[in-house]
Parts: sequence; structure tokens; C-alpha cells
Amino acid sequence: MFEQFIPVLLVLLVAAAFAGLFLGLSSWLGPSRPSALKNSIYECGVPARGSTQIRFFVRFFLVALFFLLFDLEAVFLYPWVILYKGMLAAGHGMFALGEMGAFVAVLLVGFIYIWKKGGLEWQ
Amino acid sequence: MNVGLPHFLTVSAILFSLGLFGVMSRRNAVGILMGVELMLNAANINFVAFSRYVEHSINGQMMAAFVIVLAAAEAAVALAIVLAMYRNFGTVHADSVQSLKR
Amino acid sequence: MELNLNIPSWSDLRFWLPEAILCITFLVALLGDLVVRGRRTWVPFAVSVAGLITAGAYAVAAMNHGLDAGQFQGHTIMGSLMIVDGMAGFFRLLFIFASLVTVLFAWTSEEIMGKRRENKGEFYALTVLLTAAMMVMAEARDLLMLFLSMEAVGLISYVMAGYMRTSLRSSEASLKYVLFGAVSSAIMLYGMSLLYGMTGAMEFDGIRNALISGTVDPFALLVVVVLILAGMSYKIAAVPFHYWCPDVYEGAPTPVSAIFSVGPKAAGFALMIRFFYTTFAAGTDAGTQLVQDINWPLLVAVMSVATMTYGNLVALRQTNVKRMLAYSSIAHVGYLLMGFVLLSSAGLASILFYLLVYTLMNLGAFFYVVAINNHLKSEELSDYVGIGFRAPWAGAMMVIFLASLTGVPPFAGFVGKFYLFTAVLDKQWFWLAIVAALNSVVSLYYYFKVVRAMFLSTPAEGTDMSPLKLHWLQYVVLAMLAIPTLALGLFFEEFKGLADMAIGMMGG
Repeated sequence: MFEQFIPVLLVLLVAAAFAGLFLGLSSWLGPSRPSALKNSIYECGVPARGSTQIRFFVRFFLVALFFLLFDLEAVFLYPWVILYKGMLAAGHGMFALGEMGAFVAVLLVGFIYIWKKGGLEWQ
Repeated sequence: MNVGLPHFLTVSAILFSLGLFGVMSRRNAVGILMGVELMLNAANINFVAFSRYVEHSINGQMMAAFVIVLAAAEAAVALAIVLAMYRNFGTVHADSVQSLKR
Repeated sequence: MELNLNIPSWSDLRFWLPEAILCITFLVALLGDLVVRGRRTWVPFAVSVAGLITAGAYAVAAMNHGLDAGQFQGHTIMGSLMIVDGMAGFFRLLFIFASLVTVLFAWTSEEIMGKRRENKGEFYALTVLLTAAMMVMAEARDLLMLFLSMEAVGLISYVMAGYMRTSLRSSEASLKYVLFGAVSSAIMLYGMSLLYGMTGAMEFDGIRNALISGTVDPFALLVVVVLILAGMSYKIAAVPFHYWCPDVYEGAPTPVSAIFSVGPKAAGFALMIRFFYTTFAAGTDAGTQLVQDINWPLLVAVMSVATMTYGNLVALRQTNVKRMLAYSSIAHVGYLLMGFVLLSSAGLASILFYLLVYTLMNLGAFFYVVAINNHLKSEELSDYVGIGFRAPWAGAMMVIFLASLTGVPPFAGFVGKFYLFTAVLDKQWFWLAIVAALNSVVSLYYYFKVVRAMFLSTPAEGTDMSPLKLHWLQYVVLAMLAIPTLALGLFFEEFKGLADMAIGMMGG
């Protein structure tokens, strides 16, 4: 199977050679006169301030976690939606609805718990 | 060029090895968790690929969906624990947390 | 892609009523705790106890019904993801009993109920949910359910280990638990994905059929077995996947360590028994032919010897009773693995019986540590000097638990070990039995160290020797564990018969 990758390898090699060639040429031929202005992050723009690693407020973190959890639970809705028509036709409609009802009810309890425990408060 | 089962398995094996390497080389607890995510997703690729090429059913895809959700739940619990630890110890480095004796 | 719709129905519910009851109990306890705003802690406590007792009653009824009908070979439920059979029935009762006594004892524990704790209700709710998850572990017969249930038990355990949020030790314990747990479950999942690819099946019986057909490459199978065994050994804390165990048990609140040392371990064994016995041994005694290429007995025997020797030797030099009990629980996993070496029904039945005995005596020992910790705020052996005389009844029961853990004759631990030894001796594994016997002798030394400190050492001048006042509930629970530990040492036939039956009634 690896013979199939020879073209890919060739492309990578050629690309690397070209990139290397032109980088070398430009640093050899081109003039280099750095100044403070030229070395700034945005040569024409707002001066950058502070570090790139800033601290996030811990509330963002908590809300992001809750979002992630409830967002991903929705994954289980998709297969259910697809199967629902079939189950309805087979006479299992109420069962399918009840199952999803139970699932959502459990999620709801979790939501109420977070809410009442103050996980969603911004202060 | 046909993309077949071996390609998927190669990718997943690489991903798994990278994850394992990350787990073993990182000192940061969050870094270790990122390695674990890679390992779980390597297994997911396997499941989906096998369900397409071997079993010809959706069992493997279903498994992958469950694993994704579980991975998120695990990450949430683990990050909450890391946060609690950060409050207590002031560090997220797994090997500098040693109040329990050897 | 075809859809294989094996539609479950509401009528299935009657087979998994105990699990359903526990899940509802969890939700009610959680909401109840919200309604009383975490103040009247008896609300979640009472809800949990009531839920556990109801679920236990239904589990007993289901077991009786199955035994009467003589056909407890199992009903597959949830499509075919789970099975309720004799073995599942056995483990259900074991888990419900363990959780019930833990919940009762935690009510009197300072670590759980102390004034500064703000989330007391969560402990009870989570213990109930942990019970349900462990029961599912014993019932899983599909890779999906296997992984889901193991992760569920894991996630709940991580949270419970970190119950004391502001305590350094507790949060460190839960961090170590979650890191080791996440890595080992990821390794196991990768092994499961390869097994799925090799056999094209998720269900255990489908995997078995594929293995029987002999199209699977033995070397690939070995890799898969090692990967999956890694994840499961983590759950039962067998060497070399035991690193988390002492730290977690020492750091977590003691009632939580007590349930950890028994529940998830027993559930891990249930899972291993069902998975390896039904897939690799084809569910028969003739069985190990499927794993001929792997030399399964040697693999497990080496693991067993390493586990028990490591646990015992390191336990020798512990000065903290809780940490010593953690290492002793590792050693006991080594003994339990002996029954797993030959994948024979006799060996597996002796594992079940030993798990029952181990639950009683190990919970008892941990609970005594809880009771003492309430007063001394310490688990150091040096602080235990003379403690036996300050609370004589509890001290006497602790001696029973420790003697049983050692395996001294009139107690249940001896009978349990006896069955495990005969299971390996039957198949001429003499060296394994000899190593295990030597290990038991070593363990005598460190268990006796505790007894010596409690009763035989003379306390230093000026030591407080006033009697300790233990909560009446603590005496009740300790007696609930000590009396069966004694009784099982004398009237074991009945329960050994139950264990045999549970293995005999394991559906594929």
C-alpha cells in the first residue's frame, strides 16, 4: 500500500526544496536593516500590549464546561430522530417518546441542580 | 488511490502513539488529559472504520458517539478536579503534587 | 448499512427494576438535597437508605424467583446489551449490601458529616448511583455497555474521592485517580476497538463465535488481551496497575475508601469473569482452548503472585493503618486472581465466595478506622496504642476482621482462602499455592501489629485512657459485618453453594 504514497512524498520533497531555495536566496541577496519599528508585531497598526498568555476568568471555564456537556448530550438526539419514524410505523411510538422523555428528564434534573447550586450565576 | 481500512488503522495507530507519548512525557495535568483525548479518538477512528469495512453496520458508529460524549464528561470531571487542585496547591503539575507519602 | 433493530420494550423493565429504582433514588436524593438547601442532611440519607433497601428487596425477590424457576440462565435486556442471570443476581446483592452499610456508617463519620462540609447530600446520592453503575458492570454483555459502565463507575469514583474539596489529600487523591483512570480506560478502549475489528462483533457471544471459528491471528489477539487486561487490572488494582490505589485510599475520606476497596473491585472481577469466561473460555470448563496460544494461566498466575507479594511486602512497613489496609487490599486482589488462573468454574465460584467474605471483613476493618478517626483525628498506628481497651467491643470486632483478613481458621477469610487454594491445587499449580501460603504468613505480621498496638502495647504515661463513646449505629453496622464474618467461617456451605450456583447460572 505504501507505493501509492510515492507521489505524495515527491510533492513534499519538491515543495521543501523550493521553499528552502527561495528562503536561502532571499536571505543571501536581500538587504537586512532591522529597526525597532520594523520588528514590532504590526508594523502599521495598533501597538501590541501585554502578554499573549492571558488568564481567563474562572467563570468562563465553568460555563464552557456546562455548555460542552449539554451540547454533547444532543448527539444522542440524532440517532433517535432518525429511528423515530421507523419506530412509529412499527407501533413503538410511545415507547420511543417515553425513552427520550426519560433521557431529557434526567438532563433536566442535572440542569436544575447546576442552576440551584449557583453554577450559572455570573458573580 | 483507494483509501481503505489500512489507512484508517495507520492514522489511528499514529494518533494513539502520539497520545500515549503525550501522557507519558507531560508534567502538566491538562496536558496529560489532552493525550488521553487523542487516545480515545484513535479508538474512535478504529470503531468507525471497522464498522464501515468489517461489520457493515452502525454498531461501531454508535460506540464512537458514546465515546465522544463520555470523553467530554470525563474531561469535565477531570478539569474540575484539576481546578480544585490548583486552588489547593497552586500548581497543575501532576508530579509536584505529593502530600501523600510514598 | 442495515439497521438491526432489536427493539426493547417497557416490559423489560421488570428485569432491571433494582437498577431503575437506584437511578430514581439518586435523582430524588439530589433534588431532595436541593429542596432542603443542604441543611437537613437526613433527607438525602433517608432517601438513599430507603432506595437501597427497596432495590435490595427486589433483587432478592428476583434471585428467589430465578432460583425457584431453576432457570436463572439470564434474560437479555436493553436489546442485547445486558443480561440478568444468576451471577448478576449475586453481585447485585453484594453491591447493595456494601453500599447500604457504607451509607449507614458514613452517617456517623466526621469526615463525611463534619461541620465544615457543605455538600453532604452528594455523598449519599453518589453512593447510590455508584451502586447502580456497578450492578450494570456485572450485567454487561456487550463492549459498549462494558465501556459505559466502567466509565460510569470511574467518573462517580473520581468525584467521590475528591469529596473533601478543600482538603489537600482528598483533591490529590482524586487527581491521581482521574489521571490513571483516564489513561487506562483509553488503553482498554483501543484494545476493544481492535477486538471489534478482528471479530466484527460487539456482543460477547458474537466475539466468542468469531474466536471459535479460528480466523483470528493469535498474536493480534495477545495484544488485544494485554490492552484490555490493562484497563481491567486498573479497576481491580492489580500489579502493575496499582499505583493509584494506596494514594487514593489514603487521601479519600475513609468511608469512601471503604466502598472503593470493595465495590469497584468486585465489579471489576464480575466484568472480568463474564468477559473472559464467556468469550475466551467459551463458557465451558473445557474452555481454555481458545487461549492456548496465549498461555493465559501463566500470564494471570504471574500477575497474581506479583500483586500479592507486592501488596504484602509494602504493607509490612506502613505506619498508617489506612494506607496499610490499602496495600492489604492489593494483596487480596492477588489472592483473588488465583481463582482466575484456570478460568474453571470451580475457580470462579471461589472468587465469588471470597469476594463476599472480603466485602464483610474489609468493610469492617475500614469502618473501625472511621470510628477511631472520629475521635483521634488520626490513622497512625502509633496513636492506636491502647485503643482496644477504650472501646472494647469495637476493638474485639476489629480483631475478628483482622484475623479473618489474615485467614486464621475459625473465621470466614480462612474458608475463602481454602477454596481459592483448592481451585489451583486441583490443577497441580503447587508453586502458586505455596507462594500464596507464604504470603498469608507475611500478612499475619502486619495485621498482628495493629492488634498488638490496640491491646498489648502499654501506652505512654499520661495517655488519655478514657473510654471512647461510639455512636450506636456504628456498633450495629460493625456487628452486621462481624457476625457474618464469624458465621461464614462455620456455616459456609450454604453461601458457597450460592456462589457455585451463580457461576453455574451464568448466561452467555
